[in-house]
Amino acid sequence: MSNSMNDTTRTATAPVPNNPNPIAKQDAMIEIDDVSFSYDHGQTNVLRNISFDIPAGKVTALIGPSGCGKSTLLRCLNRMNDLVDTSKVTNGQIRIMGQDINASDVDPIELRKQVGMVFQKYNPFPKSIYDNVAYGLRIQGIKNKPKLDEAVERSLRRAALWGEVKDRLGSSALGLSGGQQQRLCIARTIAVSPRIVLMDEPCSALDPIATARIEELIAELREEFTIVIVTHNMQQATRVSDRTAFFYIGELIEYDSTAKIFSNPSVKQTEEYITGRFG
Amino acid sequence: MATHFKRKGKRLLGVGRQDAIRYFFGGNAMVSILVLGAICGFLLREAVLFFPQHQRDLEVFRLTGQEYANFAITEMDEYTEVKSLANQAFYQEMNEAYGIQRGLVDSFGALSGNIYDAGEDLIEELEDARDEVEDAEAEGEKTLAQAELDAIQAKWDIFLRAELEKADRKTIDSFGRLGEAEWQQLLKAMVEWDPVEDEPPALVAAAKAESDEGMATFDTARTTIAAAGSELARLRGELIKVTTAIKDEAVADKSAASRKKAYLDGSLVAETEEERVELRRKSDEITVREEFPYAERIKVLEGSREKHKTAVEAMKVDLKAGVAALPTEFSSPEVTELVSRIRDKAPVLTVYLGESLMESADWRYDEPLSWVYSVSSFFFGKDWVTNSSFHDFYGLLPLFTGSLLISVIALLVAIPFSLGAAIYVNRLAGPAEQTFIKPVIELIGAIPSVVLGFFGIIVLGEALREVSQVPWLSWVPGFPMQERLNILNAGLLLALMAVPTIFTLCEDAINNVPASFSEASLALGGSKFQTVMKVVVPTAISGILAAILLGFGRVIGETMVVLLVAGNQIAIPDFSLGAGVITQPAHTMTGIIAQEMGEVTKDTIHYRALFSVGLVLFTISLLINISARRIIRRFGFSA
Ligand SMILES: Nc1ncnc2c1ncn2[C@@H]1O[C@H](COP(=O)(O)OP(=O)(O)O)[C@@H](O)[C@H]1O
Ligand SMILES: [Mg+2]
Repeated sequence: MSNSMNDTTRTATAPVPNNPNPIAKQDAMIEIDDVSFSYDHGQTNVLRNISFDIPAGKVTALIGPSGCGKSTLLRCLNRMNDLVDTSKVTNGQIRIMGQDINASDVDPIELRKQVGMVFQKYNPFPKSIYDNVAYGLRIQGIKNKPKLDEAVERSLRRAALWGEVKDRLGSSALGLSGGQQQRLCIARTIAVSPRIVLMDEPCSALDPIATARIEELIAELREEFTIVIVTHNMQQATRVSDRTAFFYIGELIEYDSTAKIFSNPSVKQTEEYITGRFG
Repeated sequence: MATHFKRKGKRLLGVGRQDAIRYFFGGNAMVSILVLGAICGFLLREAVLFFPQHQRDLEVFRLTGQEYANFAITEMDEYTEVKSLANQAFYQEMNEAYGIQRGLVDSFGALSGNIYDAGEDLIEELEDARDEVEDAEAEGEKTLAQAELDAIQAKWDIFLRAELEKADRKTIDSFGRLGEAEWQQLLKAMVEWDPVEDEPPALVAAAKAESDEGMATFDTARTTIAAAGSELARLRGELIKVTTAIKDEAVADKSAASRKKAYLDGSLVAETEEERVELRRKSDEITVREEFPYAERIKVLEGSREKHKTAVEAMKVDLKAGVAALPTEFSSPEVTELVSRIRDKAPVLTVYLGESLMESADWRYDEPLSWVYSVSSFFFGKDWVTNSSFHDFYGLLPLFTGSLLISVIALLVAIPFSLGAAIYVNRLAGPAEQTFIKPVIELIGAIPSVVLGFFGIIVLGEALREVSQVPWLSWVPGFPMQERLNILNAGLLLALMAVPTIFTLCEDAINNVPASFSEASLALGGSKFQTVMKVVVPTAISGILAAILLGFGRVIGETMVVLLVAGNQIAIPDFSLGAGVITQPAHTMTGIIAQEMGEVTKDTIHYRALFSVGLVLFTISLLINISARRIIRRFGFSA
């Protein structure tokens, strides 16, 4: 405990070398502070001493070769890794809005209401479109029909899906196209009004046209939500994100504004990766 | 030519090794299909042949007038129900209103009986000694006898006191109706008891008088109700006798030709002249008729209709009077309930008696009988009676109801357990629990059903009965239970047998729900429980339904447990008891086949009736399996 307190002080005063362009502390929505993470009771760390701050109201992209731990880090942010019994944050702290999310008095359920997630493979429930969007509110105990109607419509509009589905809200979500299903998943996520939306390669299963629509959507949503997106598509990162973090085998190599990373990276590995020489 | 690619290996009759292997496995599959087909065909043939035979049987039932006798039988049966209710209410009221008095009377009976048994020799001596004193004439003789009597009397007094000392209140007053004070009073009064005179002590006599007087109204009503049936009972006996005689004659007549021929053949090869003549005489005695003269025989029923009418009308009147005379105030809600059941049933019975009387008036022995009647009296017949000296009935309804009730109970119990366990194991348990619970539940399925049956008889039955007798549970319908072997017991055991089936299939269905669905739910802030109830179970619902259906199939087809535990009473359970119906014994479709198939003669109507029951079971299983498949195919999700 005292150890992590020391770490906090250190980060605040002296930024770590691979984070040369830190955002102002008061803008940070998520503070990742010297985090190491293991899937096997701490025997091997999949993430090692990661430190960087994710700004509020911006889109932050996580890039890096396959298996470097991007998804793992993302799932640390809403504690989805709790589902793996043997997993554990072995070092450091993750703070969201200043609160250590791994503290013993934090309820992951409450956390996840604030930190929504959109998955790589679109996964609407085998229920109607309406029931999918209303799900998150219903499990919070909201039964009021006008209130649900209103939230469903608002979320579907925000997800740019309303026009396409407004006449068939009662039909199965599984009848939609892939792109529509993914937008439905986004609508479902934002229906509970989270502060943060995590997206794990949300377009990897979609065709280019559907991908373009999702990217537009992300651009629109950035005003309202803090978005963290994992992508393996460099163009996508440049198109949608404000800041980019590059990971390599469990370590954060470079973190800066997206423009800087893609025009003038300061670390050689980053440059090699974005120019496609490996990965 | 083809030296490189020539087929290797020997060929037998043009068949190579690969072909042989193929034919072997193909052949096995073929054999299974053929065997199944043969079984279906056999079952179908035997079962269908039942119906024409049943029709002929019912025709004879009608022609012999037995059908007419059956009116009186059924009327009596319906009436007897009311009568026994009245008796039951009477005794219960007596025990409750005059518990102490009856306790004294019964305890005196038990106590004096015990003492009498224990001191039989002494009592005999005492009796003899008294006679001796009576008979003695001479003065000297008298004093001697008196002295002897005094000695025996003294011995008796000591014996009696010792016995009374030993007497255990709990065994004597087994219903616990006496308090310690009354018990002591009884013991005190018993000291004066004379075994030769065997008069009850004044205390007991007073108690008896008090209870008799208090119960007098009720007793009159009860005896009036009981007497209402005497006329009809007599008529019933008479009708059974004469019509059964006609039937026996008709049955004998059917085999007359073959019997006549057998005797004749016997006489031709007889070894002694005497034997030859005897056999010849027997053969001549038998007359072979073209047709049995039913019209002639049925004449004995002339006049029966009039008697029947009188008897039923008398019954209606007496019944009404008896029910009207019933008291209105009782000492416990149970008796009030019983009497109100009598009051409800009596008018229904009266209406029924009227209808039955009208129907019997229209009855004709030669009215033709359609095949529809034969079929419907199998499927909807309320009686299954075999080996009866009167007439055998083959009605499916009691068996079907029994099977259905038991299965429904089994499912109601098994579904929550299996589904809960499946959810727990698949979604909530840790890996260690998983590897332990799953095989354990599946192992339940490995218990031989006969072992489960024994468990049901010895352990579960006893335990259930004991639980049902706990006083503060008496509000549960059907408690306290009369029978140890009943629908509930069988249902619970079958639930145990259904659990592995339903559990395994449910677990499969739940396991097939993609992890991405539960991840999505959890990521939206759903708890594990909400995720299971709102996402996992609804998604797996088709598989769960199929699991339940297959569990139902498993349960309704189970034989051994129900045969051992269901109580095997062939009667439609009394649904007027409400939920308490499940504490009654019942018989089942599977049970009846297992029980009776071993002892029937091939090709008889009884034999074929059992096949028809088998066909019904087979059809039910088939439908269940088909629906389960349909559900999975139609509603199985594509994710
Ligand atoms: N549930 C898990 N259990 C054990 N190891 C895992 C699990 N998920 C991912 N890993 C391992 O963690 C490392 C990082 O994986 P991941 O975060 O999925 O990488 P990325 O998303 O960058 O491709 C990989 O070596 C992967 O094998
Ligand atoms: Mg990944």
